[in-house]
Amino acid sequence: MVLSYFRRAYSSFAAHVFDIPPRFMVLLFLVLLSIVPLTGLGTYYLNIIVSANVLAIFAVSWDLLVGRTGQISLGHALFFGIGGYTSAFLFKFYGLPIWLTIPAAIATGGLISLLLGFPALRVKGPYLALITMAFPLIIQNLFDWPPLTAIFGGRYGIRPLPAFFPFLPVTQQIIAHYYLTLFLLLMSSVIIYKIANSKTGIVFVSILDDETASKACGINITKYKLLAFTISGLFGSLAGSLQAHLLKVANPPMFSLTWSFAPIIVTFLGGIGTIYGPIVGAYIYYILDRYVLTIFIPNLFELFGYTITGELEFTKLLIFALIVLILVIKWPRGVAKYTTDKLEDLEEARDLDERGPRIWKRYPKKDT
Amino acid sequence: MIEEVILFGAIQGGLYALLALGFTLIYGIAGVVNLAHGSFYMLGAYMFFVFQKSGLLGPVTIEASILAIVLAVIFVAFVGSVIYRLIIHPVLGDEVAVMVVTICLALIFQQLILVIFGTSFPPIGWPADSFLANTYVKILGVNLVYSRIVAFAGSLALFGTMLILIAKTKIGKAMRAVSQDREVAMLMGVNTTRLYMLTMGISALLAAAASILIVTSTGTGGGAWLWLHPLALSFSIVILGGLGSIKGSLLGGFIIGYAEQTVAFAVPEGGAIVGVVPLAVMVIVLLLRPKGLFGKRVEMEE
Repeated sequence: MVLSYFRRAYSSFAAHVFDIPPRFMVLLFLVLLSIVPLTGLGTYYLNIIVSANVLAIFAVSWDLLVGRTGQISLGHALFFGIGGYTSAFLFKFYGLPIWLTIPAAIATGGLISLLLGFPALRVKGPYLALITMAFPLIIQNLFDWPPLTAIFGGRYGIRPLPAFFPFLPVTQQIIAHYYLTLFLLLMSSVIIYKIANSKTGIVFVSILDDETASKACGINITKYKLLAFTISGLFGSLAGSLQAHLLKVANPPMFSLTWSFAPIIVTFLGGIGTIYGPIVGAYIYYILDRYVLTIFIPNLFELFGYTITGELEFTKLLIFALIVLILVIKWPRGVAKYTTDKLEDLEEARDLDERGPRIWKRYPKKDT
Repeated sequence: MIEEVILFGAIQGGLYALLALGFTLIYGIAGVVNLAHGSFYMLGAYMFFVFQKSGLLGPVTIEASILAIVLAVIFVAFVGSVIYRLIIHPVLGDEVAVMVVTICLALIFQQLILVIFGTSFPPIGWPADSFLANTYVKILGVNLVYSRIVAFAGSLALFGTMLILIAKTKIGKAMRAVSQDREVAMLMGVNTTRLYMLTMGISALLAAAASILIVTSTGTGGGAWLWLHPLALSFSIVILGGLGSIKGSLLGGFIIGYAEQTVAFAVPEGGAIVGVVPLAVMVIVLLLRPKGLFGKRVEMEE
């Protein structure tokens, strides 16, 4: 009795507080992120956010292709690696400056993904998933072949690449990286969000829902699938090129399964098909990986007199995979999607609250 | 050189077919694309190593090793069916979610091996002083160690057993029925959940058996990344032959086996790019025939 009264009071309160337009939420998030470097946070922490931004760009591009268009790609590392290697190649053999190599990498990534779209038109479902998984693995293996090692540097890759802002001192470079990646993340996610919610985006979703039916409606499926692949490839290679210049190296692990699986895991953490979900997922991923499991938990153990610095190296990914596994089974819509749904529920509840508690009382609980 | 390609190709082909059979079975019957198939492969090799060297079965002899193989294979089959029930069953029907869950499983197994065994490469094989490991026989002018012949015979025997199981027994009949039409099979009284658990167990068992036969005959050690190459192999063979087709996995296994050996012997510095061959063959075939060689949605031999 008393408990239910408190619950009602809380949800009435929460409905008023959380009733903020989404655009304002995004702005708030951005302002918060843009004042982070001014608080004097260490370079280690800034680098976490820089990495998260790059992964977020990459994962958003995956989400447009898979979450919105339904073309399952398990080999997105292909675009990532192509972006990185194109800019490294152009720098090494033609000496192009950084502001030319990145657009060139994006263009190459778009072109390759357009070409990859053609076989993707012929195969579907699990066939598509597994054939896309094969492409980056093939390229990663080819780097070991002696005739190619001379050009691409084999296992060591192409290094060193130029930095973004060589004229700045090192500490300020990281702040500059921070704002650069934040700006690019904002740009690319806004572009992709706009595409996903435009007329084209609706066509993408119709292909995801029912290919035959959308064909019957007179939609040129070929064109739209190729479009989805190309857009996804453009932003995927942007992320790869950024990563190569930030780490100053383009090496075969950029084509590895790790980079194919990272956007998938991150997108499922945040919520697939939402576009904003992968960004949240990428931040959760890096904060868990580089802060909570690397610094926070060892420090916590140290308080009680245990030292576990070395042993956590392998356990980290184990714990992380377990978390994702449980999340996917128990919470299939993802963290960000769950939160926004919750907020929308509260809004509905508030409307009903104003209309009269009697209706609200009988308002059926939505099962999650 | 041609004799070597013929013999080694046949041996590799039989083993690859066995490896791919598990992958194709679980897809054909339950519709699960199991990206953790390579992990069952790795688990099989490691469990064999553990049972053989732990001292539970006495000194390391051939008899003890055979017993260790049987125990390891049964253990992996058990793990496979439990994993199906706990982890894959809740997300069954959502293709992407199944893939994500199995990717997570593969990562978990990789990290578990790293935590328990470290980054070392334990030698996994028959006892070094037995005739299987150090006696050679000359066939067509090629020296073949006995363990390779055992591997070939074992793979063919297991494949044949599976064919008989599917064609003749009541379980096989249920499998064929479910792969043809799930709803109708359920109406006829097939308990699909239990059948899927059994199929996953068989699939894991085949992966573990193939793993032990391959690892003991080629002398490659363990290592936490042992699952990657077999996964690439099994899905390229299965896609080459057509997902869900048993005939296809047998033929695909031999095609890939021969293609690998040809590249290894014929291309300059070919040893470095053997890993590319299955994937490249798969891509080429898939561009010509989008459903693989024998691909329908599901197809089981009568």
